[in-house]
Amino acid sequence: MLPLSLLNAAQNKPMLVELKNGETFNGHLINCDNFMNITLREVYQTSAEGDRFWKLKECYIRGSTIKYLRVPDTLLDAVKEEQNRAREAGRSARGAHVSGAGARGRGMPTRGGRGMVRGAPARGGRGRGRGA
Amino acid sequence: MASLQGYVDHRVLLILQDGRAIVGVMAGFDQKSNVVLSDSKERVYSMDEGVEEIPLGLYLVKGDQIVLIGELDDAVDQSVDLSTVRAEPLPPIRY
Amino acid sequence: MDKPKREAILDLAKYVNERIRVKFTGGREVTGVLKGYDQLLNLVLDEVEEQLQTEGELKTRSLGLVVLRGPTVTLLSPVDGWEEIANPFVAQE
Repeated sequence: MLPLSLLNAAQNKPMLVELKNGETFNGHLINCDNFMNITLREVYQTSAEGDRFWKLKECYIRGSTIKYLRVPDTLLDAVKEEQNRAREAGRSARGAHVSGAGARGRGMPTRGGRGMVRGAPARGGRGRGRGA
Repeated sequence: MASLQGYVDHRVLLILQDGRAIVGVMAGFDQKSNVVLSDSKERVYSMDEGVEEIPLGLYLVKGDQIVLIGELDDAVDQSVDLSTVRAEPLPPIRY
Repeated sequence: MDKPKREAILDLAKYVNERIRVKFTGGREVTGVLKGYDQLLNLVLDEVEEQLQTEGELKTRSLGLVVLRGPTVTLLSPVDGWEEIANPFVAQE
């Protein structure tokens, strides 16, 4: 399952976010995007040393500054259940044609997904000329 | 090309840049090596006492914080008595 | 679960003319009145005060009207509703 799928499913759930600088934020997820930027509400912030605390109504956190997020354990099963249900629905609605969208939920974004090296198949030649 | 696909649904050890060691079942990953770890526990090593295992639950770890992902051999891991292990904790990475 | 692309998850329009707190990579922290912003999270803040680290945060310095670069922003929250509190986690460990 993709990490971003898990995060999207965590909307309105409580979570703990630790930033790279060691500060932690406990709050409910309002929204998130593909960069893992998040907005939280009803937030309790703890300093990196663990000695000072603040309460925030709302905050926006850059994905690039996040070290990790802890989410409720029940979320994993909830998301898998959701994906199974979506798959069943897709299967019955579309008949025999399995669309490419079905495979995306599996954590294997191998076709043209981000981060894939483009146009440089140096090994085992996917049709590009070798021997240069 | 190396892929994390082979580790999915297996117990793995994650070492983070701040020196933390976390074991858990890898439920998923993405192209940036962000990882979903379920049933995770942090293992805190010390020279004075045995390993302390702190249960952490469901974790989403950012890929840029991960140093190492190692597949655990469940049989070997179960046979280790953590209370007898003494080790220095890993220091954080300094650039 | 399809979300419209390129719609920011933070609508800064609601904070215009309000004081907000912004933290940056590197550890700096400021508060200021939001006057302008863009999709990259570049910000225009007025009456900016930088909270200087160390010495228990009692020192601030005034910076006036400032443009803040989006790429270095790590956190943003309204000052209204931000308060220091005692340890809210009872009986941890």
